[in-house]
Amino acid sequence: MSFLNKLGIGIAAGAGSSREVPKTMGSSGRPRPNGPAPVAAVGATRAPEPRESNRVSNGLKEFLWNLDGLGRGTLLDLGPAWQTTLSFFIERGFRVSSEDILRAWKEFLVEEEGKLREATGRAAQHTFDVSPAARAARFLEANLQYPNSSFDAVLLWDLLDYLEPLVAKQIVVNLTELLRPGGVVFAMFHSKKPEGFQRYRVADSTTLQVISSPVLCPAQRVYQNREIQDLFSRYRTVKSFVGRDQLRESLFIK
Amino acid sequence: MWKKEDVKSQGLPENAPGNVVGSPATGGTPVRETSTGLPVSVSSKGSASISQGIRIKGEVTGSEDLFVDGHVEGKVNLSNGSLTVGPNGEVKADIFAREVIVRGRVDGRIVGREKIQLWSTGNVAGDLQTERLMIEDGAVLRGRVEIETGKPHVEARGAAAGTSKGGSVAASSPVSSGSAAN
Repeated sequence: MSFLNKLGIGIAAGAGSSREVPKTMGSSGRPRPNGPAPVAAVGATRAPEPRESNRVSNGLKEFLWNLDGLGRGTLLDLGPAWQTTLSFFIERGFRVSSEDILRAWKEFLVEEEGKLREATGRAAQHTFDVSPAARAARFLEANLQYPNSSFDAVLLWDLLDYLEPLVAKQIVVNLTELLRPGGVVFAMFHSKKPEGFQRYRVADSTTLQVISSPVLCPAQRVYQNREIQDLFSRYRTVKSFVGRDQLRESLFIK
Repeated sequence: MWKKEDVKSQGLPENAPGNVVGSPATGGTPVRETSTGLPVSVSSKGSASISQGIRIKGEVTGSEDLFVDGHVEGKVNLSNGSLTVGPNGEVKADIFAREVIVRGRVDGRIVGREKIQLWSTGNVAGDLQTERLMIEDGAVLRGRVEIETGKPHVEARGAAAGTSKGGSVAASSPVSSGSAAN
């Protein structure tokens, strides 16, 4: 399967959790005044507007509890740069670094596709290693580049579900190096293959907003308990919560 | 080096509503479409602009506002001015300014003394240092955020505005307007 096929751009289904709040948004993400959509905006090719819902997050609550009293901590957010999430942690004295790994992964795959096409058009002496291990190495050469022991906490969200297993494994290894001793990782795993694609942002200390988004990367695998423990074998699992939306929230302390 | 555009010389009314593109309400350089469809930077201070297709390599210094819709590589230092990187703008430079608005692409550190705004089309790879930060949904940031004042101001904007908590989060622009906050 080609990389582009793997991207499989599509539209996410509903988040499937409680307290769903459909929101009228413009294409730029700005809310539109109430009333019918402009005629020009209605059409078969127009992408459905993003929907968001709230979910109570015991994992986030525990994550914050573990960071309580840290003072001026450092946080690495591996999701999109949301205003509310940054605001939430900055107000609590954190220095926040943001890096949207899934977006970077998507862009990386597109680049790889281009390089592969180039390589096949060139002479045979220029080989292009397309093995998953080589790809993982190339991806991590350009991403997650921070000094060791830089962070007290990492928001990993559910991105491991969407990455190739070797990349996911290597990211966890790298995060272990980036975390200080006692550092906390907040990760999420889907208990069954997700139908849509969603991003998350912090609404308050116990609530996450779940935003249905166009698919950046299709889900790669569903991790079982044992596999999650193996991935984080250098951590001690603190707590795990499974919601009604089949989303498992886990906390790991280094 | 820069193309200076004065709104009065174009014969456009200073605050004519209706044809403002992008409508950044404050700072930077509001962009207005002329009858030819070409964007023209307008501000009471008559700010400078580096238009699409212009490429500058080196250090850009000044004390007034600047609109960049072209390509700048090197360093940008506007001591008391505001820098707006337009949707087509690409800046590979460390930026120092009073206020920075990013609607295009910036690769470098941004120090916006008073405020940094990342619009939904903005893409920044570099650290941000400012007193007030505003990020619109869809903006891409890869870097560290440092809020300088004792009491941080991270303004709510767009869809995020209604859900922000805490006293110091100021939703200073109407959510439905979509315009930049003061």
